[in-house]
Order: sequence, then C-alpha cells, then structure tokens
Amino acid sequence: MKVVKRDGKVVSFNDTKIAIAIRKGFVNSRSATSYTEDDHNKIFTKVIEEINKRYPKDGQVPIEVIQDIIEEELKSLGYVDIYDSFSSYRTRRSESRKAFQNRQHKLMKAIESLSLKTAIEEDSKRDNANVDGNTAMGTMLQYGSTLAREFAKSYIMSPRIASAHDDGEIYIHDMDFMPMGTTTCCQINLDKLFSRGFSTGHGHLRPPKGISTYAALAAIAIQSNQNDQHGGQSIPAFDFYMAPGVLQTFKKMFKQAVKEYIDLLEITKEIDFDKFVKKVDELTTMDVDIKTFKEFYEKDKQLEKSIKKAYDMAIKKTDRETFQAMEAFVHNLNTMHSRAGAQVPFSSINFGTDISYEGRMVIKNYLYALDSGLGKGETPIFPISIFKVKEDINYFEKDPNYDLFKLACKVSAKRLFPNFSFIDSPFNLQYYKKGDPNSEVAYMGCRTRVMGNTANPDKEIATGRGNASFTSINLVRIGIKHGIATNKEPNMEEFYKEVDEKIDLVKDQLLERFKIQCSKKVYNFPFLLGQGLFVDSDGLGPEDDITPVLRNCSLGVGFIGLAECLTALIGSHHGETEEARKLGLEIVSHMRERLDNISKQYKLNFTLLATPAEGLSGKFVAIDRSIYGTMPGITDKEYYTNSYHVPVRYNISATEKIKIEGPYHALTNGGHITYIELDGDTANNLEAFEKIVRCMHDNKIGYGAINHPVDRDPVCGYTGVIGDVCPGCGRHESEGIPVEQVEHFEIRTECASCTK
Amino acid sequence: MKNTKQNLVGEGVKFERIRRITGYLVGTIDRFNNAKRAEERDRVKHSIDTLKCDKKAV
Ligand SMILES: [Zn+2]
Repeated sequence: MKVVKRDGKVVSFNDTKIAIAIRKGFVNSRSATSYTEDDHNKIFTKVIEEINKRYPKDGQVPIEVIQDIIEEELKSLGYVDIYDSFSSYRTRRSESRKAFQNRQHKLMKAIESLSLKTAIEEDSKRDNANVDGNTAMGTMLQYGSTLAREFAKSYIMSPRIASAHDDGEIYIHDMDFMPMGTTTCCQINLDKLFSRGFSTGHGHLRPPKGISTYAALAAIAIQSNQNDQHGGQSIPAFDFYMAPGVLQTFKKMFKQAVKEYIDLLEITKEIDFDKFVKKVDELTTMDVDIKTFKEFYEKDKQLEKSIKKAYDMAIKKTDRETFQAMEAFVHNLNTMHSRAGAQVPFSSINFGTDISYEGRMVIKNYLYALDSGLGKGETPIFPISIFKVKEDINYFEKDPNYDLFKLACKVSAKRLFPNFSFIDSPFNLQYYKKGDPNSEVAYMGCRTRVMGNTANPDKEIATGRGNASFTSINLVRIGIKHGIATNKEPNMEEFYKEVDEKIDLVKDQLLERFKIQCSKKVYNFPFLLGQGLFVDSDGLGPEDDITPVLRNCSLGVGFIGLAECLTALIGSHHGETEEARKLGLEIVSHMRERLDNISKQYKLNFTLLATPAEGLSGKFVAIDRSIYGTMPGITDKEYYTNSYHVPVRYNISATEKIKIEGPYHALTNGGHITYIELDGDTANNLEAFEKIVRCMHDNKIGYGAINHPVDRDPVCGYTGVIGDVCPGCGRHESEGIPVEQVEHFEIRTECASCTK
Repeated sequence: MKNTKQNLVGEGVKFERIRRITGYLVGTIDRFNNAKRAEERDRVKHSIDTLKCDKKAV
C-alpha cells in the first residue's frame, strides 16, 4: 500500500508512522496521564483494520483520509477528549504549516511542560537523577537543554536522523550538547598535568608539593575539565599519580622532625644538617632502611635514636596526612556543585595496582576515607571508585597488594564502592605493559572504556582519551519486527539487514556530530585542549584544526534490550535457554564486527557500547507499546533491560549470571558493566563477597559491581539495611521520636580503619 | 500532661536509600525517573550457593 502526502508525493505505507502520530495525539493532550500505551495501541489496531478494509493491498491512501480515520476511531471508541485535542491540533497544524511555525510550536510545547509541572509530575525533569529538577538552576538548565535539543533536531541534524530519534529507533544521548560540539569524557593524566603546573583560567597553579595539594589539585582538575565536556571525568591511575605527593610529604615531615629533635636536644653541631637534607631529598621512596643515614649518626648514640624516632614519626604523620587528604578529596567531589541544577562533577577514579610503599599508602587511606563516609557518615556518591584487579599484583594471596584487595571488598560491602575492573581479561590484557600505568585499562565510572585506537595505533592507551559521543539502537523493535512476536517464523536475514541499516544510520549520525565537534577551536575548550589534557593536544594554536586530536576519541554505538529482542525473536532470552544464549552472542558479535570494519574504513574508533540507559530506559518501550501493544516478556514492563544484561526480574544465581554475561564484555569494547544483586546479609559475608569478585575475574569480566541495599537514617546516623524500623533508634520512616532515644544510640557501623 | 511533643526529633524525616543506577549512586529513589524506579523495584537478589569458579595461585 502507498500513502499520498499533502504535496502529492507518493511514499510507501509505514504503519509505525501512524502509530507514532496516534501516540503524539495522546501524549500532547491535556489528559495524557489518564491513558496508557495500551489505549494508543487499541486505536492504532482499529485504524489499521479500517484502512485495510477500505483500500486494497496495492491501493493509495491520502494522508488526510488516514487522519480522518484516526478521528473517527477516537470518537467511536469514546476517546472524546483525545479526539478534541487531536482534531484541534490538526486544524492548528494545517493553519501554520510553515516550517518556522512548526518549529516554534514544538519548542513552546516543550517549554510549557517544563514550566507548569513539578519534577514529580514531569518525568522528563527526572531524566538525570543527579540533577535536582526542582531547583531554580535546575529548571534553568532544563530550559536550556530543551531548547538546545529542539534546535539540534530542527536546524543541525539530517531530518531522517532526527525522525529516527523521535520515532524511538535510535536514541542520541546528550543531544542538548550537540550545538556546543562538546565531547563526552576524558581519562585525565594527572602526572602530566602536575609535572608543569596548570592554569584553570583564574591563575596558574604551580606543581603541587605534598599529598594535600596533590589531592586538592586532582579535584580542581576534575572540576575544571568537566566544564569543557558534557559527561564525566576519570582518573585512570589515581594511586600512581598521588604517590609522589606522599613521598614529598614524608620528606618534609622527616626533615622537620629531625630538626626539632636536634634543636630540642641541643645537638645541632653534631650533624651536617644541610647534607642530611640533601640526602633526604634524594630518596626515591620512604621505605628505607634507617642505616641509609648511618653516616649522620654513627658518632652519636643520641643522634641515632633521634633520627630513628624522627623517621617513625614522619611515617606516622605522613600516613595521617594522606588520610586527611583523601577524606578532603572525597568530600570535595561530593559537595562542590560546579554545574547548574545542584550537580557535582561526574567523577571516577581507578586505583589498586601501585605496589610502591607510597602508592599503597594512598590506596589504603583512600579506602579508609571511603569507609568512614562523609561528615555525618553518609555514603559518598562520588567519585565512582574502581579497584583494578590484576594477577601477581593483588589477586593471589601471595601478591603484594592482596591485603588492599581484601580491604576493597570489605569497603565495597558497606559503601557500594569500589567497583572492580579486571586487567587480566584478554581484551584488557592485550594493552597491558608491566610497570606502565598508562597501559592499564581505566573505566569511566558509568562504564565507558577507551583503549584500542584504530585512528592512531601508536596511542593505544587509556590516558588522555575519551568518548566523543554515543547513540543507542533500539534492538527490541528490530526483534519484534522480524521475530516470532509478529511472524510465524523469525526471519534472521531481514533482522540482520535492519540491524546493519541502523548501525549505518548511527554511524552517519555520529559522523555528522563529529564534524561539529571538529569545527570547534582550542578556545572553546580552554582546559581540555588549552592545558593539553587530550592526547596530542599539546601546542595546538588558537586557529589550529582539532580534528587530529579528536580522532583519538571513541564514537560509541550502543544498544538496549538484547533480552527483550531475543524474546521477540525466538520466545526466550539468554537467561532462559541455550538457544537464546547462542543467538545473543551471535547478534552482538555481528554488531561488533560491522563496527570494526567501519572503523577501519574511516580510520576512526567506532566502538560497541553496552549502553548505560539512564534517561532512555523507558522511552523506547513506551513508543513500542503504542505501536505493538503489550507483549509479554517484551513490552510488558516500564523499561527495557540494559544492553546485554540478563533481565533484573529473572531468578538466577550469581555464578550463572556472570558466566552468561562474561563473553559480552569482550565484544563491547566501548564499555560494559555486570551487576550482581545481593541482599544485606550476603553482602556482609565478606568471604562470599570476595568470591563473587573472583568469579568475575575468572570469567573474564571487564568491569563489575555488586549492588546491595545501603540505607541510612539521617536522624540517628545508622547505616545499613533499614526495613520499616530503624535498627539504630527504633523509629519508623517520618516518625518523630524523643531525643533521648537517639542519643542512646551509638554508631554501630564498623570502621575498617579501627578494626585493623 | 506529659510534655513530649517539643522533644521529638525526626518527624517527617525519611530514610535515605542509596541505590546504584546505570553506574551512579543516587541518594534517594525519588529522583529516579519512572522507568528506572520500576527497574529498581523489579530487581531480584542473586543466590550464591553455587560459587565455584576460583582460580588459585599457580
Ligand atoms: Zn535511626
């Protein structure tokens, strides 16, 4: 069947377009909330029936007739309010069918819902859980984003791409930043930044001296850079970067202590202090035998005792200062709102593999700081902390950092962080060079991973790189179209054909956006490029083309809902049957292969991403339900399952889930994460907790995390699992209790540093 | 009459429930959008009775 458009053009009949038009009629009406997608689908089904009744298979339907039929069905099925708004909308549209007015109408509509509704009523105000949609700045931010998004769709993007986004075939993440040409994220090489000091635009910061300034500057670097990008900031080797600061603090403390002792004992003349200072300054580690200083004390017993004491004191003081520096760092990253809408920077840090004395001191104290929480014992939300697991460093009992791995498990069982990344998994190990932290895989907390580099094979490193932008494919709809959900037999040939079409569409979209990004100049990103954070951006002049630098970024192609896609194709998902398990891997391998080929062809890094579905999770399914109705196991929930995950509702053991999801980590080179959900009791069983992490390692997971309930009563400070009643003070939620009852409660949560 | 009212604390104060959503921790479920809230509600815990994949030191 064909459709005759208003301008007389004849196009092929596309029932999805009709479903979406009906959906818009509902969603744009004042009584939108009284109806569900099932209502949309009911009308849609009747409209299609009616069209098929009136027109032969090879007939031509004028678009006006389709709209008449929609109105008739709305009226006859009793949707009078929707009929009214649909027909008045239709009238208004035909009156103002000039492009500009259409655009204006869309913009005003979007602004209207932002202004008149609170965050509770307006789902889109809660798209990003880190933005408080009720604050003045939060609302301001949403005005900006809404306008930028509509502007991008109307003026920047190709119409076919904009409509694929609106129709729920693909989802362009962070579209509101498209006009600005920002990139997503960066894995910051602090070493490089610290070695020469840096400028934030408000003055030059000199190279740091001592762990406190190292940690403070790390937070400043994260905050400065996040204003140049729209995603998160990650520190790839936090322990390695902080370790020199610890050594500097130690040297200062040691010299100071010796000076104090000799002054106090009035033995200044017995030692050549300048020479001693020189000796200390030459140290490359604080883990030294005291005999190193024999030449200074061999003549004097008192001096020998003083230097030994001073050394021990300096170690202790350095340890304490390192803890305070880590505490301040975590506090900083949780409280400095440096974006509108009460947002703190999206920060992540990776650590765990530095086996030097200083590096170990950083890791230990960072974990202690995480464990003790914020000022009132609250669980820190940022930075996302990632412990890098590596054989011969911290995985086996004999390994030098095994104790820190155990501590990481213990803290994670209480605070949800750290997560764990696995360098031994082959797709990460292939880049690993022993002793070079730049070669160790790093993750952006949410899951983004940038390692391989087709554009620039000499730079297959984690540091100084990031993602340019990413867009996700609605895998479920392709599954529904070609699977047994709507056909007698699944048609895999047609399925793959459409998957390829969608990948190519997303490739075009990413390139379109990449062109905008590359058209920017250094002064648009004064910190990121001006301070040389991105690899190869050193020495770029104000008018230089930034394309060669941005080519090192990844262009992410994501996917949503493999589980529902499999169910739509063959009736079961990969948690349920071996057949689905095989097919799932086949589909995702196919996608990866195509992207590898495209990467080679364009000499760019198109990577396959297991999409983090914030903001997107409910959008695809709502549109698909309007088109296809409620299909069990496919469109019957309010969300689609994340990327390749086994559905969260599906009952499965931890081992089984890890084994099923493991192979997808190797395929999704743009980023991945596997979750295990534990109840409170199991999470507190440290042996079991560690076993799960080890199981992830052994099954070649790239990045994993364990979820368990972490509740807190702000009244008494209790942290742990809280059911209906707080175990700390005995109050129910929102209930007031006598103040004495709170005072009797002493904080029962254990502190990792106290029990050691 | 007992004067307990003025010494009460915590009235109207909710418990904080920290959950992980797409990699980020969130302090309260109120800030999730509807779909994410539903996803969080649906999560089932994974059993650990069959953990048998432990690589030992060589
Ligand atoms: Zn309590």
